[in-house]
Amino acid sequence: MSGLDLTPLWLTLKVAGLTVVILLLVSLPIAWWLAFTRSRFKVAVEACTALPLVLPPTVMGFYLLILFGPEGAAGELWTALTGQPLVFTFAGLVAASCVYSLPFVVQPLQAALETMDRGTVEAAWTLGASRWRTFFIVVVPQIRRGLLTALVLGFAHTLGEFGVVLMVGGNIPGETQVISIAIYEQVELLDYATAHAWSLGLLLFSFVILVLVYGLNRRWHTEMKP
Amino acid sequence: MNGIDVDVHLRRPGFCLDARLHLQGAGVTVILGPSGSGKTTLLRLVAGLEKPDSGHIRVDGETWADRQHGICLPPQRRRVGMVFQDYALFGHLTVAGNIGFGLPRARRAEQVADWLQRLHLTDLAQRYPHQLSGGQRQRVALARALAPEPALLLLDEPFSALDIGLRRHLRDQLLELVAGLNQPVIMVTHDLEETRHLATRIGILVEGRILRLGDADALFDDPGSLAAARVLGWENLLPVQAHEGRRLSGSWGEIHLPSAPATPVRWLGIRPEHVTLAREREGALAATLLRHTRLGALNEWLCQLPGGHPLRLHRPWHETPPAAGSPLWLHLPAAHLRLWRD
Repeated sequence: MSGLDLTPLWLTLKVAGLTVVILLLVSLPIAWWLAFTRSRFKVAVEACTALPLVLPPTVMGFYLLILFGPEGAAGELWTALTGQPLVFTFAGLVAASCVYSLPFVVQPLQAALETMDRGTVEAAWTLGASRWRTFFIVVVPQIRRGLLTALVLGFAHTLGEFGVVLMVGGNIPGETQVISIAIYEQVELLDYATAHAWSLGLLLFSFVILVLVYGLNRRWHTEMKP
Repeated sequence: MNGIDVDVHLRRPGFCLDARLHLQGAGVTVILGPSGSGKTTLLRLVAGLEKPDSGHIRVDGETWADRQHGICLPPQRRRVGMVFQDYALFGHLTVAGNIGFGLPRARRAEQVADWLQRLHLTDLAQRYPHQLSGGQRQRVALARALAPEPALLLLDEPFSALDIGLRRHLRDQLLELVAGLNQPVIMVTHDLEETRHLATRIGILVEGRILRLGDADALFDDPGSLAAARVLGWENLLPVQAHEGRRLSGSWGEIHLPSAPATPVRWLGIRPEHVTLAREREGALAATLLRHTRLGALNEWLCQLPGGHPLRLHRPWHETPPAAGSPLWLHLPAAHLRLWRD
């Protein structure tokens, strides 16, 4: 126990943090479009973003492995841009996590946008506010619960992923070996003490985060009823 | 080039709006129409929240939209103040924050204070919308829309979210406020009472088309067509089956006019306050009294003419009506008859 190598922890936090930031930027426009569009393609797009919820991680991981591989479109593009491969690297791990955790960020945002008072956005426009100002001053305060839920679910889900990570990232210490993989390896090596330490840590961390989120959501709910 | 000139066309699945409006000067123009007639859509087009398929919108010489020339200003650049049906107040901002939202930072504090005072909201400046009554919310929405000094104020059914008891009070307040404004106001509603109190001009919108646009008193006196009369609450409407010279007739009886109308007449209408009881049969219509209803200081008698046509008349409340089923003779004075072709 004394010599517990913390590298998987930092790596996991880095992957989850980066994933959540990228996902927020990507998911907001998707969620906005899904919440307000009248397009007939809405259902198809909605189904696509929800696919990672139902697919076995190995299926997702398999397709991502092919897509990110040297022959795959994404892998080829990445190599052309950076000279690095995408599979079995940190970048590939983040990219796969983004795909895998997408619904956990899109769905809370979409739900929050759908219940938001759309009239307030239009009122802000008629009062001369630009789209950006409207977004930050009118939309964000109204969807803050959805934002927080999206942030936490995206982070927590990335923290706990296993199948996709193993398929796309492999098990390279310091590069792609996140906590869940490290636990798996400790169990394989029958090092139950270390596996226990990581598992308990992850369990407590997840619990504390969820308690904080639910607590904050409740406070916001009673504090502000539009 | 002053005034408001709207000529817009918009097609949506199952709905088509084809509206022309030309307004000069301040005052309240009420767009009156049944629900689903396109009232709110028309306001949203003027505000820039919807794009017309074709047509133009010009306000005080500025072109807000002109599809032919590819112009369609976003709402931010239209200098329009809009009060939404449910007010759409910003729930996370205080009353002062809401009113100041559309104001430049430099003049904000001073102007917010001014508007708070004008609408008697000073004591509520630090409250949040959910802590306000319906009437207070409406005043905040009005102040917020008026503070940036828009070229045009749009009101979307501003009283529909309020209790009936409160409406009358707020209507008077709005009337007082609007009377002091330099901006023209366009308000949409389906409520006749509000229209009667607030309108300087009325536009009657039915199925996406402005049927009539004109001075409120003149339109209430003569709507000009059956459809417009229905929207304006006329109930005494009789179909004219035959029109020969001065004589108009239908299954309900016949009427002789002092002179022959120039155009063919298909419908006639008369307000219940103008229908009188006739002393003799000569030139009168036979009717049966069905029932009577007390309307404040008046009694409304509902009669039936031959052919099953209902006709209402107003009598003083102290006059005892005959028993239901009694025969009556009614006189429809020619001066108050309104004759329409459609």
